[in-house]
Amino acid sequence: MEEMPEKIEIRQKFPSWREMLKPVKEFEEGRLSYLSLPKQVDSEFFKMPFGDVERDFDDLKLPENWKEIFLEALKETLEKNRSFKLFMDICVRCGACADKCHYYIGTGDPKNMPVARAELIRSIYRRYFTPAGKLFGEWAGARELTEDVLKELYYYFNQCSLCRRCSLFCPYGIDTAEIVWWVRRILSRIGLNQRFMTISIEASSRTGNHLGLLPGGMYGAIQQGLEELKDYTGFDLHTYINKKGADVLFVAPSADYFATPHWYVMLGYLLLFNELEEKYGLTITWSTYASEGGNFGTFHSYEAAQLLNSKIYKEAERLGVSFIIGGECGHMWRDKHQFINTMNQPPKHEEWKKFWEDPDLGELAEGLRGVRFDSYASGEHGWIHILEFVAALLEHKKITVDKSRNDKWIATYHDPCNVARGMGLIEEPRYVLRNVMNHFYDMPEHTIKDKTYCCGAGGGMLADEIMDLRMRGVMPRMMAVRHVYRKYGVNILLTPCAIDKAQFPPALEYWKIPIEVGGPMEMVGNALVMTAFGEKPEDRQFDLRGEPLREEEGEEGE
Amino acid sequence: MIGVIFGVIVPYIAVAIFVVGVVYRIVNWANSPVPLKIPTTGGQQRSLPFIKRTVYDRFDSPYTWWETAGRMLLEIFLFRSLLKNTRYYLDRVSQKDARWLWLFGILFHYSLLLVLIRHSRFFLEPVPSFVEMLSEIESFKGVFIPSVYISGLAIVAALFLLWFRRIFLSRERTLSLPSDHFALILLLAITISGNLMRYFFKADLFAVKELLMSLMSFNIGHAVEVAETIEPIFYVHFALASFLLAYFPFSKLMHAGGVLFSPTRNMPNDNRARRHVNPWDPADVPLLAKGITVAGRTYKSKKLDWETYYEMYTDQLQEIEEANYKIVPEEL
Repeated sequence: MEEMPEKIEIRQKFPSWREMLKPVKEFEEGRLSYLSLPKQVDSEFFKMPFGDVERDFDDLKLPENWKEIFLEALKETLEKNRSFKLFMDICVRCGACADKCHYYIGTGDPKNMPVARAELIRSIYRRYFTPAGKLFGEWAGARELTEDVLKELYYYFNQCSLCRRCSLFCPYGIDTAEIVWWVRRILSRIGLNQRFMTISIEASSRTGNHLGLLPGGMYGAIQQGLEELKDYTGFDLHTYINKKGADVLFVAPSADYFATPHWYVMLGYLLLFNELEEKYGLTITWSTYASEGGNFGTFHSYEAAQLLNSKIYKEAERLGVSFIIGGECGHMWRDKHQFINTMNQPPKHEEWKKFWEDPDLGELAEGLRGVRFDSYASGEHGWIHILEFVAALLEHKKITVDKSRNDKWIATYHDPCNVARGMGLIEEPRYVLRNVMNHFYDMPEHTIKDKTYCCGAGGGMLADEIMDLRMRGVMPRMMAVRHVYRKYGVNILLTPCAIDKAQFPPALEYWKIPIEVGGPMEMVGNALVMTAFGEKPEDRQFDLRGEPLREEEGEEGE
Repeated sequence: MIGVIFGVIVPYIAVAIFVVGVVYRIVNWANSPVPLKIPTTGGQQRSLPFIKRTVYDRFDSPYTWWETAGRMLLEIFLFRSLLKNTRYYLDRVSQKDARWLWLFGILFHYSLLLVLIRHSRFFLEPVPSFVEMLSEIESFKGVFIPSVYISGLAIVAALFLLWFRRIFLSRERTLSLPSDHFALILLLAITISGNLMRYFFKADLFAVKELLMSLMSFNIGHAVEVAETIEPIFYVHFALASFLLAYFPFSKLMHAGGVLFSPTRNMPNDNRARRHVNPWDPADVPLLAKGITVAGRTYKSKKLDWETYYEMYTDQLQEIEEANYKIVPEEL
């Protein structure tokens, strides 16, 4: 990893309110994201206003009437969105949110307090849209929109991972994620986009996934997974892709096709799908067109999010599947839980409608009768999280697991922000983990479940150029991990989130906590006994990392 | 003259501004569209039957209308989100529960409620018995003469505590705008003048009641008459309160109404059971594919539908077709 800060010093500053209204002029190294290049935002498939110019932070090359456009966009946002308007109006600046932000804790920068972040745009709102601000100016906390202010907006609104931890503690539920999301949208109207997220948005709008993987590449990646599984288990496994008439469409974040440790989770999925097909006849297909579960559009704007998630229901309809299972990803589940069926029309084809009339898996595969999802899902949405799915299979004893295969792991579980606070998936993963492994310990209560700390890289903040910010932002999470590492000897940090899995390895290294990172589905894959293939619990020799399951006597003894 | 200005004209104007302003703000919020269903979930979602939810989960991650209503009521009457507050200690890299803000907030708001209820004796004839009863209870009737109302003193104490937070805590001082101090000072001035009037510089309360009753029945002639007879100390209190009413709709004090509209709190977490419709997006074709117009120019992104996709990557997709949509390990 490049440009890791050597030493972090957190300098807290407490300027006066007047000072706070002035735009900062100095931008810290390692916290300022690059601006997008024309190839990302002037692409055929993702065309943003004024995207055709190459910009530099010192020279924003703003369109001539940028101020009008900005204020017009701000007005539109206020009119289109009750939450934004309300959040502009009702904050009382009580400060309850201030030390809830991992970026504030890590940087000490006063403008990283969620309330101060919102004040950056609120001050402009007051100046141009409220009588008090127009009359009293600075004394009403209002300020002019200038190019310096604009730079500041870009700087700070790209130092938020949309984790919504502040919104949990706010007495009015003011959601900084909502404010940041809409302000980024306003900035995109005058040509200011953050490069990291638009690279992925552009790739996904052109190829179907963030990595820009073409159909052959995805095919090859999954194939390699099957080959590895053959080495580890000895079984000839298979899977389907783009298959019409399959029962279920499976959508994973594209990082699972390549990256480590996402890869082990991918192998876990494949084992589970094979067992289910061989044993019960449930067919699950992947799709190259709907090959991305994640949605970086949800970091950028409503429209970008919709552009990316519009493919999946269409693909479900084309393939004629009965429902969709989604993989391990964090922001994906904010998108797939809260956004997708509002931004798109849910599928209306026969198989879908028929299944959701009586959503019992027995209708698709007789042996699975009794597994139902209608206590919380319906055909108006149709997505099931893979861990909910596994939890249901475990509860109904449809799959066999051998806990002892995971005995070398002492695990803790990190709740991804969006899964915990945008969805409420909290106990299902813990239920699964307790059923597939013997050693599982939670981190301190203040740092998990709905109060979970962000990994510091969500919301488009996984860019390499802001490594300093990432390593600072992850600090509260790392301290909690270190606590369980020292107390219980935890040696693996499990998280069902692709961005976490990319952020934690460097973060653990940086904060000097020598443990591994993985996903719950890896543990499921390890523990899953492939009974349909004649496997016995003690047969498996290797885990999904290709390492021996049981340590030999004497070898690496101490 | 003071009586007419501050006893009749100013209060009428203030109440008019208050009513029109608050109604305008609330109607304005209520009429704004809610594009997405975005509750902040603070607990376990409603899930598979064997995943148990505690009563906290039901309120923090509500699924039904009743649970959502419960969440809102707890939020409004108990400030539940503030009750969860923690404080992060950088030097100890740890955090502890910190409920002072909650305590001060509750103290202030409930005192305010009691004070307002007590003040209804000036507007209502006959005075409802529960108002009498509440006043008697909170003053421990008979212990002090004249009766000392706890809420009247508590509200001043709470306001000072809330203000000290903004003055002495560095983080809160940084965050506080002049308007935040102003609201507190205004409230302090009102409550202190009220207390002074009650215990030290007595005003003729029968006249005050007569004034308010005639103001309420628009008996302006009588109001003017009575107004001239009341002591000036009353008008200090009354004018400040009138000013507060007029200031209310333009200020952050509107959080009193706004809290009811917050989409992260007042929406149920039932996205997967019931579809939310965005009033400004028919959700048929992605908005970017329809094109967005900025400064007179339309920017249209090409839509990647299956046909386009197939055309772009025909060779590779055909290979997948030939493999019968099945992936097997390559024979080595």
